[in-house]
Amino acid sequence: MPGLLLLLVFLLVGSLLQSQFVLPVPAAIVGMLLLLVFLIIRGKAPESLQQTTKSLSPLLPLFLIPVSSGIITQQEIVSDYGVELVVILALSLIPGILVTGWIMAGKKKQGDKP
Amino acid sequence: MMTELLTMPLFWATLTIAAFVLGQQLYNATGNSPFIPPILTGVALIVTTLELTGTDYSVYMQGGNLIHIMLGPVIVMLAVPLYQFLHTMRDQWQRIILAIVLGSATTVACAVALTWWWIGDEILAKTIATKSITTPVAVAITEQFGGIAAIASAAVIVTGILGAAMVPALLKVIRRDDPQTTGLTLGVCAHAIGTARALELGAEQAAYSAMAMTLTATLHALVLPWIV
Repeated sequence: MPGLLLLLVFLLVGSLLQSQFVLPVPAAIVGMLLLLVFLIIRGKAPESLQQTTKSLSPLLPLFLIPVSSGIITQQEIVSDYGVELVVILALSLIPGILVTGWIMAGKKKQGDKP
Repeated sequence: MMTELLTMPLFWATLTIAAFVLGQQLYNATGNSPFIPPILTGVALIVTTLELTGTDYSVYMQGGNLIHIMLGPVIVMLAVPLYQFLHTMRDQWQRIILAIVLGSATTVACAVALTWWWIGDEILAKTIATKSITTPVAVAITEQFGGIAAIASAAVIVTGILGAAMVPALLKVIRRDDPQTTGLTLGVCAHAIGTARALELGAEQAAYSAMAMTLTATLHALVLPWIV
């Protein structure tokens, strides 16, 4: 529970900073960066925070369901461009995967890893 | 009685959790098929129920919000894996950053260019620019620059499902399928859904995927609002 409280406090501070300075970055990202700085300064993630992370992580897809179901309000776009959008998304992945893979593994010595 | 039930926020919140649990069971039953992740089943069940009962999305969201509210803390939580991997990945820093920046820029640029050229809708092109960021962040950013949150969310999920299936296969073809590269590419191209897939492949893949997902989200969250 202290872990969840810590997350909420950082989210709250992030929201305050975001609205106070009209940052172009979402409040939750501000909160995340603040928590990262906090962890780096502290030098260790608190046990309770690690516990919370472990139990919340598998639930991530659940928290995405309500907003994703909002697709029902966009039936016009889905029926007009749905197929095109899926094809575009599939095609655009190919160069992305190739570039990422080549850069990340490219510099490895030959025969270093299969 | 039925109509009363359909206006209860608690009913919709409960149904959302039930849809997720069913999605998880279906996923397990299909031997973790990358094309049937729990989120897809969950959304399909909710959308179908709304259609069948003729319920308005805004009525659903009175209950959906009870679950939606947890998204914020979960994004903040991403700082934890990021922090944990900062130490182990320090000596690969430059290569990781280069791969994430160029890799994610390539796939986003291709998607935006294709949308612009094929559909020619500015709002859709803007919206699709957020496709590589994990949904909560994508939705927040899209709302900020006037894109369509629901489409952003759908594009992210479709990208995640396609990416989680395509990344391991394509990397194998170009013989770049070591655990670190596979994990990183899953995180860059398929965010949270890719990370869920990486978790099944192994601990090293999972670590690199979570790190790449967080960095991609942070990078895009910081950069996209300025250039879109």
